[in-house]
Amino acid sequence: MRTVDRLRPAVVNGLRELRANKVRSLLSMSGIILGVASLVAMVTVVQGMVGNFRQFVDAMGGIEKITVSREPLPREQEHLAELSEGLTMRDVVRIRATVPLIANISPEVRVGFEKLANGHRETLTYVTGVSADYLPVAKRWVDPDKGRFISDLDVHNMNDVVVLGAAVAADLFDANEDPVGKVIKVRGRSYIVAGVLNNIEGSGFQISSARSRSSGGSWRYRNYGAFIPVTTALTKFLGTDRLSGLGLRVGDPAQLQDAVDQTERALLQSHKGLRDFGITTNEQTLEDFRRTESAFKLSLGGVAGISLFVGGIGIMNVMLASINERIREIGVRKAVGARGGDLFLQFLVEAAVVSFVGGVLGLVVSMGIVSLMNLVLAAAIPTSASSMLDPQVMGMGLGFSVLVGLVAGVYPALRAARLDPIEALRHE
Amino acid sequence: MRPLISIRGLRKTYRMGDEDVHALDGVDLDFAQGEFVAILGPSGSGKSTLMHILGFMDRPSAGSIVFEGQEVAGLDPDRCAWYRSNRVGFVFQAFNLLPRLTVLENVALPLTYRQDSDPGRNADAARAALERVGMGHRLDHRPGELSGGERQRVAVARSLVGRPAIIFADEPTGNLDVRNVDRVLDLLGSLIAEGITVVLVTHDLSVAERASRVISMRAGRVQEDRRR
Repeated sequence: MRTVDRLRPAVVNGLRELRANKVRSLLSMSGIILGVASLVAMVTVVQGMVGNFRQFVDAMGGIEKITVSREPLPREQEHLAELSEGLTMRDVVRIRATVPLIANISPEVRVGFEKLANGHRETLTYVTGVSADYLPVAKRWVDPDKGRFISDLDVHNMNDVVVLGAAVAADLFDANEDPVGKVIKVRGRSYIVAGVLNNIEGSGFQISSARSRSSGGSWRYRNYGAFIPVTTALTKFLGTDRLSGLGLRVGDPAQLQDAVDQTERALLQSHKGLRDFGITTNEQTLEDFRRTESAFKLSLGGVAGISLFVGGIGIMNVMLASINERIREIGVRKAVGARGGDLFLQFLVEAAVVSFVGGVLGLVVSMGIVSLMNLVLAAAIPTSASSMLDPQVMGMGLGFSVLVGLVAGVYPALRAARLDPIEALRHE
Repeated sequence: MRPLISIRGLRKTYRMGDEDVHALDGVDLDFAQGEFVAILGPSGSGKSTLMHILGFMDRPSAGSIVFEGQEVAGLDPDRCAWYRSNRVGFVFQAFNLLPRLTVLENVALPLTYRQDSDPGRNADAARAALERVGMGHRLDHRPGELSGGERQRVAVARSLVGRPAIIFADEPTGNLDVRNVDRVLDLLGSLIAEGITVVLVTHDLSVAERASRVISMRAGRVQEDRRR
C-alpha cells in the first residue's frame, strides 16, 4: 500500500476529529496560532526594516560611496591651524590624478536655503554647488526630456545655470510649462534652468520602473533642493575656495578599503600632513544596522519560538486528553486489525493536521498584525516603506507549525499505539 | 478433517498483587470449520480470556494453538494484527462502532488496515456485507442514528467483511431487546453456511442453546463439551 493511501484516511480522520471538537481544537491551536502569527509578523517586519534601510543606504549613495568632510584639526596639530586650507578643488584634481580606484569625485558646497523666484512665484529651497559627478555619486539622474545636469563646462566657465529638484520645479512652474531654458532668480540674480532632476516618487512598497536605479520609497523630500555649478557657488555666493565636502564613488565596492586608504594618503600629502578632513563610508552604518537587525531577529525569534513551544505543549496536552477519551476507539481499531504503527500514524497525523490548521489561522492573524503595524509605522515614520507578507515566510511559518505538531504528537501517538486492545475495549 | 483451530494445554496466568490467578488452567479444544459453538460460563470462568487469546488479542502463558495448520501461540503483535484483520472477526456486546464514521466506513474499517487496501474495493465489500445483514439501506447513517438491533447487525457486517475463518461474538445480545436477540442470533447462525466458524461467548444459557455445540467453562477449565 502506498504511503499516500495510508496518509489520506489519517488526514481525513484528523479533519473529522477537528470538526467534531471545534472549541477544543481551537483552544489547543491557540498557541500555534500565536506562535506562527508572531513568527511570520516578526520576519515580515524585520524584512521591512531591512528594505527601509537599504533605501536609506541607497539614498546616502550606497555602499560604494565615500564621504570626505571638513574636520577640525586633531589636538596635536591645532597650532598649525593657519596652514590648513580645507578641502578645495585642488583636492579634486589631486584625487582624480592619483587614486584610480575612485570612479567619480563630486565636490560639494552647501550654499544654504535661498529664495528662488519665477516672476511672482517663489519658493525657498536648499542650494548646493556641485559638479557633473554629483549624479553618479548621489545616484540621481535627469530624465532626457527634462534638460541636462550641471556640466564640466558649467563648472569651468562658472555659468549661471541651475538644476531644480522635481518638487521645486513644480513650485515654480505650471505643470504644462517646460522649465528648461527659463530664467529664474536665485538670491536676486538670474539663472537659466538647465534641467530638472528625476522625480523620487511614491510612498508605495517598491518602486521598480525599468529605469529606476534608486528605489524611491518615501524619500520624497529629496525632490527638494536646487543645484548650481560648484565654482559659481564658491565665487558668487560664498567668496571662498573651501568646499563643504567631497563625495567619492568607488568603481569596485570590493576595493572600498583600498580606495579609502589611498584617498587618505593623497589628501594628507596635498594637505601638507594636516589632518583637517575626515573620511567616512556607509559600511559602518550598514554594520550597525546589521547588528540591530540580528538583535531584533534574535529577540523576536525567541518570542516566536517560545510561543511555538507553548503551542506544541498545548497540542500534546489536548492530544493526550483526546486519546483518553478515545481509548475505546483505539481498542476497536486494534481489534479489527490495526497495528500499533497504524494508530501511531493516525494520531501523529491528527496532531499535524491540528497544528497545520492552526498555522493557517496564524497566517491570517499575522496578516492582520502586519497591516496594523504598517498603519502604526506609517503614522510614526513617514519615510518607512510598508512591509508585505512574503510567500516564502508564510511557507516557513506553516512548516514550523506542522513540525511542532509532529514533535508534540509523538508521545501521545506512542501512548495510543501501545494501548492494550483488551484493556482499551473494557474502558468505559 | 484437520480442525480450524486446535489448542492444547493452554494456560494464562495473571499476577494480581502477590497471587497468581490462573485464568486458563490447561485447556484442550478443537474447533472445526463452519461450526456454531457457544462458550458458556459465569464471569471469571476464563471464557473471555479464551476468546481474546483465540482472537489474537492476547497471548497465552503456555500451551499451543494451531490455527489453520500454523502454530500461532507466540506471534509478535504485528503478526497478530494481520490475523485480526484477515482471519478473525469480532462482535461485541456494546457494538463498538465508531460514532464519527458512517455505517459504510465502520464496516470497511478492518479492510483499511490490510496491506492491499483499496478504497473502492473496500467500499464494495462493505456494501456487500451490509446487504448480507439487511442493512444496505443505511450506508450513510451514523451509528447514533440506528437502533440497537441495527447497530449490532452493522457490527456483524463489520466482522464478516474481511471473509474471516472465525467470528467471535462476545455477549452479542446482551444489549438487545427480545425481538432483536433472535434476529442477531439467526444472522450469526446463518454464517456457518458460508464456512465461517462462529463462537458465541455468553453466560446466558438460552443464548448458548442456539449453538450446535456448547462448551461450559468453570475456573479456567472446560467443564463440559456437549454437541447436539
